[in-house]
Amino acid sequence: MTGLFPGFLTLSAAMFALGSLGVMVRRNPLVVFMSIELMLNAGNLALVTYARYTHTMAGQVFALIVIAVAASEVVVGLALITGVYRSGRRLDIDELSEMRE
Amino acid sequence: MNSTFTMVLCAIALGLPTAGFLINALTAGKLPHRVVSFLGPGVVVGSFVATVILLVELLAQPPAHRGVTVLLWHWLNLSVGLVHGTVGRSGFNANFSIRIDPLSILMMLVITGIGGLIHIYSVGYMAEDASYNRFFAYMNLFITSMLLLVMSENLIFLIIGWSMVAFASYALIAFWYQRPAAVAAGRKAFVTQVIGDVGLVLGAFLIFLNLRGRGGQMLHSVDLQTIFANVGPGAHFHNGLGPMGGGMVTVIGILLFLGAAAKSAQWPLHTWLPDAMEGPTPVSALIHAATMVTAGVYLVARFHPLYQQAPVAAGIVAVVGIGTALMAAIIGCTQFDIKRVIAYSTMSQIGLMIFAVGAGAYAAGMFQFFTHACFKALLFLAAGNVIHALHDEQDIRSMGGLSTRMKLTFFAFLVGSLALAGIPLFAGWFSKEELLSTGLALGPAVPWLWVLGVSVNVLTSFYIFRVVWAAFRGQPATSRAAAAREARPMMLVPVLVLAFLSAVVGFLNIDFAGFHPITLFSDFLQPVVGRPAAHASDGIQALALLVGTALSVGGLALAWAVYGRKVISVDLISRRLPWLYQLSVQKFYWDEIYGAALVRPTLAFAALVRQVLEPQFFDTMVTEVRGGVATLADDLRSLQTGFFRDYSLIFFVCAVIGLVVLGFRLA
Repeated sequence: MTGLFPGFLTLSAAMFALGSLGVMVRRNPLVVFMSIELMLNAGNLALVTYARYTHTMAGQVFALIVIAVAASEVVVGLALITGVYRSGRRLDIDELSEMRE
Repeated sequence: MNSTFTMVLCAIALGLPTAGFLINALTAGKLPHRVVSFLGPGVVVGSFVATVILLVELLAQPPAHRGVTVLLWHWLNLSVGLVHGTVGRSGFNANFSIRIDPLSILMMLVITGIGGLIHIYSVGYMAEDASYNRFFAYMNLFITSMLLLVMSENLIFLIIGWSMVAFASYALIAFWYQRPAAVAAGRKAFVTQVIGDVGLVLGAFLIFLNLRGRGGQMLHSVDLQTIFANVGPGAHFHNGLGPMGGGMVTVIGILLFLGAAAKSAQWPLHTWLPDAMEGPTPVSALIHAATMVTAGVYLVARFHPLYQQAPVAAGIVAVVGIGTALMAAIIGCTQFDIKRVIAYSTMSQIGLMIFAVGAGAYAAGMFQFFTHACFKALLFLAAGNVIHALHDEQDIRSMGGLSTRMKLTFFAFLVGSLALAGIPLFAGWFSKEELLSTGLALGPAVPWLWVLGVSVNVLTSFYIFRVVWAAFRGQPATSRAAAAREARPMMLVPVLVLAFLSAVVGFLNIDFAGFHPITLFSDFLQPVVGRPAAHASDGIQALALLVGTALSVGGLALAWAVYGRKVISVDLISRRLPWLYQLSVQKFYWDEIYGAALVRPTLAFAALVRQVLEPQFFDTMVTEVRGGVATLADDLRSLQTGFFRDYSLIFFVCAVIGLVVLGFRLA
């Protein structure tokens, strides 16, 4: 069993790195959202792995909460994206930079 | 004593005036005139009733047990705290607790009793004033603060009450804020009070930092009873504040007296009291005669265990007291404003009390406080009747012949003057002769201090009967004096009650010469302040009594000869001893001295700062800082691109750096 943990953790780290790369380089907000989901699930994977490793339930419970938070976050995010789309603007994150000053 | 009942009574005595103040202040003048007329005096009278019940409870106890500490609520409770760089093992507690013992009950009786009478008087005196509600709000606040001061068992709340008194007095002196003189007088009083507060607070700090208990450990206590139990000789005494007469206890004694001197208008902090006469007359009676100015006497009497350990500080107290008494009496002889004469007389009488408590005659000093509160409030209120009848005329040269038009006021003023002058069988006679004869046995430089005290008495009876003859006898000097009418009943009743008290309260303590066994008053105070350490022999006391009384009557006769029969020329002194006359008229030049030594240098320094330092240094500094911030902001603004990916990149980089640092620390 123990031998598998480094694999899970490496996978989690790789998912997180890919996700953060996606957040930084993609311009489509939908893809950015998917990258964020990837990062969250990387976190979930790490949590569950450690929960298994320490034989406690806390990590698994926490992962459930993360899933719930991710769902509600997607609700808000998608609503924002829809709102931007309906105002007739291009869905490009670099266009949405009015908060600069 | 039933502790719950006592607690409720204490809460009522302290809470009623507080409630009166809050209601009056928070309704902001919206309450009808009639309601305020009942509410303002009513809360003080209610507080007086609670105090009387407390007194009865206290008297039901054997004398040794008269003194309870009532805990109203826990305020600060730090069981283990970092105190003075080390973790205190005992911790620090400061509770809102109240001390009920003969000394505090006596003060409470005077504050609420005489204060209540003055409140009733004010209903008549202030009736036409536009700020009627504000006046009673301040008056109730004053009563609250004063009660807090004398009832507090805790050094912190004593200081809070002490400063609240100063504020209430400031508000009341500057009550007629349209008058520049009144505002200036209020400001002067407040600044002087704050100088005194600094002394009191520093003294309290030194007690807190230096008090040691039985085993030599730091006590860090602010409880007065704990302090007193450890400071002086007694069951637990182990060098509480160093050896007797040591430097620490002397410094603390002098610092506390600085506070007392500011409150009690003693040299060198005395100049505010005459100016404070700009306030309404009931205020002068309440604050500057009966209560506030005696807070200094109370403080020294309350801290008597400390002063007994510090003979040098106590000696300074006594000498300053008698010196101020003499100086004020000399000034009083040449003033023309009727209220200023009484104000200097107050300063002088309080000087005598301060002398007594400094010399160790605590009961005698407090007895003088008690009788003085009666007859001085009476004199102020009677003078208020005169001023009111003459439409705010205060100069005795414009009065005259009032005794036929204002018979009852004249009678009351006369009783007050007889009591003040120490004419036999009136209140002041008992207290002053007791004070001087007890002081005779205790003071370090006794005979000289006694001579000074007796001269104060002679001058006192001279200047007060000068006022009696100038204002009430002879022919009216002005048409307003000729048209004066007797005051309304609301203002006469309190005056007559006070006149009755001034005539009889002296009989409470017929002890001055050791002839009579009736010593109600000093027996009452004995559990708190103890008995005087020494008595002069009966023969000396009787001689002192006879000489003192004869000289007081002599002062009266002198005033009669000068102002009544005019057999001695009025300007005898001004012709023969012009320097003494000038000194007296100019109030010993203290205002000028302070002006030259303190005020003018401060103003000159302020002008220097305004013209040189401010534009060339501070302004430049501010401009430079502003320019620097603006440049920095311009540079930093380029970091804000508005692109989401830049922000997230910065965020991730920082998170990685944080994780690496954390990893190193864990490893």
